Amino acid sequence: MFFRPLPWDYGVRNLWRRPGRSALTMLGLATVVFLVLLVTAFVRGLEATLAVSGDERVVLVHSLGASENIENSTMPGRSSGLLAASLRRIESRFGERYVSPELYLGSEVTTAGSSVPCKGLVRGVTLAAPLVRRQFQLQSGAWPSAGEVLVGRLAAAKLGRDPRELASGQTLHFEGRDWTVSGQFAAGGSALESELWCPVEDLQQAMKRQDLSLVAVTVTDAEGAVDLAEFCKERLDLEWQSTPETAYYAALQRHYGPVRAVAWLIVVLVAGAGVFAGLNTMYGAVVGRVRELAMLQTLGFSRRAIALSIVQEGTLLAAGGSLVAAAIALPLVSGAAVRFTMGAFNLRLDSTALIIGMLTGLAIGIVGSLPPAWRALRMPVVEALKAI
Amino acid sequence: MQVRHIVLPTFVLTIATVIGCGISTAPTTTTPTAAAPDARYVLAEEPADAQPVIAVRMASKDGDEVTITGRIGGDVDPWVKGRATFVIVDPSLHACSEREGDKCETPWDFCCDEIGHLNQSKATIKIVDDAGETIATDARELLGVKELQTVTIRGQAKRDEAGNLTVLGKGVYVKR
Repeated sequence: MFFRPLPWDYGVRNLWRRPGRSALTMLGLATVVFLVLLVTAFVRGLEATLAVSGDERVVLVHSLGASENIENSTMPGRSSGLLAASLRRIESRFGERYVSPELYLGSEVTTAGSSVPCKGLVRGVTLAAPLVRRQFQLQSGAWPSAGEVLVGRLAAAKLGRDPRELASGQTLHFEGRDWTVSGQFAAGGSALESELWCPVEDLQQAMKRQDLSLVAVTVTDAEGAVDLAEFCKERLDLEWQSTPETAYYAALQRHYGPVRAVAWLIVVLVAGAGVFAGLNTMYGAVVGRVRELAMLQTLGFSRRAIALSIVQEGTLLAAGGSLVAAAIALPLVSGAAVRFTMGAFNLRLDSTALIIGMLTGLAIGIVGSLPPAWRALRMPVVEALKAI
Repeated sequence: MQVRHIVLPTFVLTIATVIGCGISTAPTTTTPTAAAPDARYVLAEEPADAQPVIAVRMASKDGDEVTITGRIGGDVDPWVKGRATFVIVDPSLHACSEREGDKCETPWDFCCDEIGHLNQSKATIKIVDDAGETIATDARELLGVKELQTVTIRGQAKRDEAGNLTVLGKGVYVKR
């Protein structure tokens, strides 16, 4: 060490000399870090939902040009049979081929607790859907029979309704008829968890439609996906297109890119505001202690040692504030459901988000203390000793 | 005073950093580059008896030997990634880029042509080996071709009940 630092306790004790100011500074820093954690959890949750939503062995076949808006896709009802009969590399078990015909749409859903309809995502499915959607887990109740609907774990959040309104036995109203909730399902945190699943034939009858939106196919290997693409190119009359499910969700990731960019911008701006708040407080602390700092220099402590002690104080306050913010955010933010256009997702306060929040807090503490510390270094000792 | 000196550069730096990160939403697809063509499948001379796509669709039957000519396109993505399969359209059709003032980013999909029966002007080309299996190399790599290029293919017609035409090609002449 090139200089003798001030005792560690000195910086710690200084924080207790002005408890009101220290507490307010820590509260301000905790607020900033809490906001950073909140926005980071939002971005991490959105990214995680879209990342787990694609299965690399699943290929979506839909009408040409509808890859970015599958709700608008329309295919004949016989499409799944045609695909199952035409292609070799499709997964099968006990003679059952993994080909899932689906009718997918956004619909106005009314729950028992409110007469105001809200936008929900409805998927008409067959028993092949759980074969293709491997993350599917029936959490409670039973697979829906005629007139019944199975609700995803986050469907209530997507609808903006109390989860009790979507409990088993409750009645939902959409597409002109009532549906009884038969149970709940999870899908590994994917976008499917925001949906309502009902038998595809029932949904077709309710909507007076005979077509499908898409056929989801599980292929045995990568060549199977190429087979599907080639089939779509050969059957030009059908005007179909195949999109690997991972590519579909990757496109959505790109679609939400600006949202993520804005969220990160907010993180930077909030952190920037935190730096200035910390800067202001530490300046105040230094200005009020000019004589004390000059006295320390007179006693033989170098300017660098004094500056280090000021940075230590700022860093301790920031670390304390960061811990308080994390302690509040973990039970309050982590796991909270958020609605967005293509479903709902849980805010994700994982280790990455926590590290970002903590590092931001520490950075605010250090960066906010440096200019006041620099000011302390520059002040002439004699002048400072005379300061009032 | 000092705070003012710090605030402005920090603010500018923050904004510059964020803008520098970019908010581009352009898709990042990996397009195989046109490499040196595989001589086994490329014809050195243009076949003299080539027929345009519409004529071959009208006249050919399943199993006929045909020589067909057309332009690569007819779809936003006329390729099958990882396989020597692509779509061509009748050479009488006009690409969007051949219209004055058109700024279409994918002129090879022929979406601007008012023909009204684009599907009846298309054919699928599959370059096959001696066993009749499609070559497992992207056509762009195998033949060194790209969208809107005119190609002539010698091969066997494969027809289905819906009227689709697939040509199982043995050799391709690429007009440079």
